[in-house]
Amino acid sequence: MTVSRRAFLKTSAIAAGVPWLGLGPGAAAAADPPKKGGTLRVGFYIEAATMDPHLSGSKIDRQVYHNIYEPLVTLDAKLGIKPGLAESWTQPDPKTLVFKLRRGVKFHDGTDFNAEAAKFNFERMKNEPKSVRKGEVANIDTVEVVDSHTIKVNLKKPDAALLATLTDRAGMMVSPKVVQERGAELQRNAKGAGTGPFEFVEWVRDSHLVIKRNEAYWNKQGGPYLDRVRYRPIPDDVVKLQSLQSGEIDVMDYVQPRDVAAVKADKNVVVLDVPSLADFAYQLNHTRPPFNNKALRQAVAYALDIEQIVKGVWLNVGVPANGPIPPTSWAYDKSIPFIKRDLAKAKAKLAEGGQPGGFAFTLTTNNIPINVQEAEVIQAQLREVGITAKVNLVDSATLISSGNAKNFEMISYQWSGRPDPDGNTYQFFRTTPGTSLNWSGLSNPQIDALLDKTREVSSQAERRKLYSELTKLLQDELPMIFIVHPIEPKAFSPRVQGYDPIPDGMMRFKDVWMR
Amino acid sequence: MLHLVLRRLAATVPVLLLVTAGVFALLHLTPGDPIDAMMAESVDAAAKAALRTELGLDQPLPVQYAAWMGRLLRGDLGHSIRNGEPVVESVSRRLGPSLQLAALAMAISLLIAFPVGIVSAVRRNTAVDRAGTTFSLFGICMPNFLLALLLIFVFGVTLRWLPISGYVDPVEEPWDGLRSLALPAVTLGLALAAVVTRTLRSSMLEALGEDYVRTARAKGLAEGRVVRGHVLRNALIPVVTVLGLQLGTLIGGAVITEYVFALPGVGRLVVDAVFARDYPLVQGVVLLIALGFIASNLVVDLLYGLIDPRIRHR
Repeated sequence: MTVSRRAFLKTSAIAAGVPWLGLGPGAAAAADPPKKGGTLRVGFYIEAATMDPHLSGSKIDRQVYHNIYEPLVTLDAKLGIKPGLAESWTQPDPKTLVFKLRRGVKFHDGTDFNAEAAKFNFERMKNEPKSVRKGEVANIDTVEVVDSHTIKVNLKKPDAALLATLTDRAGMMVSPKVVQERGAELQRNAKGAGTGPFEFVEWVRDSHLVIKRNEAYWNKQGGPYLDRVRYRPIPDDVVKLQSLQSGEIDVMDYVQPRDVAAVKADKNVVVLDVPSLADFAYQLNHTRPPFNNKALRQAVAYALDIEQIVKGVWLNVGVPANGPIPPTSWAYDKSIPFIKRDLAKAKAKLAEGGQPGGFAFTLTTNNIPINVQEAEVIQAQLREVGITAKVNLVDSATLISSGNAKNFEMISYQWSGRPDPDGNTYQFFRTTPGTSLNWSGLSNPQIDALLDKTREVSSQAERRKLYSELTKLLQDELPMIFIVHPIEPKAFSPRVQGYDPIPDGMMRFKDVWMR
Repeated sequence: MLHLVLRRLAATVPVLLLVTAGVFALLHLTPGDPIDAMMAESVDAAAKAALRTELGLDQPLPVQYAAWMGRLLRGDLGHSIRNGEPVVESVSRRLGPSLQLAALAMAISLLIAFPVGIVSAVRRNTAVDRAGTTFSLFGICMPNFLLALLLIFVFGVTLRWLPISGYVDPVEEPWDGLRSLALPAVTLGLALAAVVTRTLRSSMLEALGEDYVRTARAKGLAEGRVVRGHVLRNALIPVVTVLGLQLGTLIGGAVITEYVFALPGVGRLVVDAVFARDYPLVQGVVLLIALGFIASNLVVDLLYGLIDPRIRHR
């Protein structure tokens, strides 16, 4: 299984034009049987915020969760849905999902995982006042226990994206006993709470978080092999990289584009390019001038050379984006080209928009090096057709508030992405009054109808067609200027074997072992 | 003496009021909102509004400030918005590493600055003096982050003598703890040593030209005793002033050094809290840093009295 998946990745990486460095030594030693033991030391840029998956709002938490908790269903490398804590599922009608749960699974505290436990979790996500999962499970009306290991989930309306949502925090099962006995403490201490291949040991704030092998893990195929995994926050990128190069850590979560070439040349480090689900873009404000004028939005799009930005700023650690859906997704339509630079067209659009001599606007972006560089390139490219972009650098809290308040003209938006295309589209482009992630204020009945339909139709082929149509409409309507689908390179010590990358960027260590 | 201490303590009240009100106003005038920052990927406006009400963030600013002050007077610094942890706990956990780092850096700077400063002044315009001046210039000009990265490269990556980053509590594990603090302490200590060397040298030079030094020499006192007993003692006041000011900066302002070495210190805490718009946490840490400055200034004032009896009797 592992070998075939690895072979798949190898070919896909070559197809994407990315040199395959992958787990080179691992491939050479593929015959080596996995070895038990060892502590894997992982460096992250920041520390976790909470150990309670129902209250978590940060990406780094998920990195830990995917080793101690398990969702009902999981993702494979092609973003297909495969069984997790649910052995199988059926959909008798568009508004009903029936999950057969796996038997013989125990939480780390020794209690059984069963239908009652699953129902308890869904109810907690819906009713707990501080739950951050409410939005994700909003479509779930009720959960019924059919028998000890079967649940029936009744939906308010058809939701084709729900299964993919259940591959992450919204599908993760927490021990009801732990929640009932020490629910408040769960934020800091997840002892006994999960069913995953590793158990929570301790979390010393600001210092480290340790998990250990679950000896009673239900899945007897493959790992867990590692004795322990020790997570440490190292905020400085340069220092984190040096820690890896000198052997103080074995894994780092992300290599900056500017460091990728140097790291790939280092024999002591193995780099793995993991394509992501993300789309990095700029939202254009449709509710005020100048971008309430469609021709001017198009003028900006035609004046930009996205290929050049991806090459010069992202150093090709990513691919130019044709829309919100990344190449990793089954819904990605590679027949749709990204918008190419066309200065004549840009000038014509300026004239059409009533600004033949160009116009000026403010570009709001994060004050971090790569965003600043990107803004400077955009500024220079737009200047060639007489458009003046004033760059306004802000911190991320300001950026988010400006976006929510629609207090911007063009604003940087970096979305980490979701496994189902719905997560990269619906909330951004569906007409939504009030505060929402639809910062652009886009409201187009044709797009609304398409988005609603993508949720109701359950056939993947059918949905794929709808998303292609949507991508084309978005290229014309331009709520966003799509720039790049980034690659998220991860770096390892050559001792680390068996890591299986999945485009959601989460590091699952079940089958990882140390040479 | 007691009078001085009491007078100083009384003066802290308006200072703290000004600092906390100023920081409170600045924070709330800065664009950005803690709930938006925390729930960046959520569209649930109702949940956000509920959280805002629960935390009292929907109240007018003066009301929020008064509520914060009211809790403070009862000894409650409140809870972090981001993770619900009591502010007192977050701060006290970060204080240990910051104090240890400051003490070590201070010790390193004194060990370097005193010999170099004294020799530079006594052997003015010789090769030794010029070497000392060059060192100080280097220390003042060298940015912290660059020195830190160079030290990491040499001692962590190349020689592998010391850990690159991370913190081990020296109280629990003395050897590993000191090793984890060595590079950051040297980073901060060298910069501080440079400043102290310059100050000590110039104030010693001034004292060396005084009449009482000529008198001391005229009455046949050995040069060593002249320097120690007359010159150095009189040259200490500006040095103590500089050290006092720097101590406060070391505790709350070693942000870059803490970032680079992944040390869980107070400086990083406050910067992260500002980025998250975690108002209670920022307020709590700033209050603490202000107290630190006041305390170190008080100590400096008391030291003046010890060094110069004329100040004590005034």
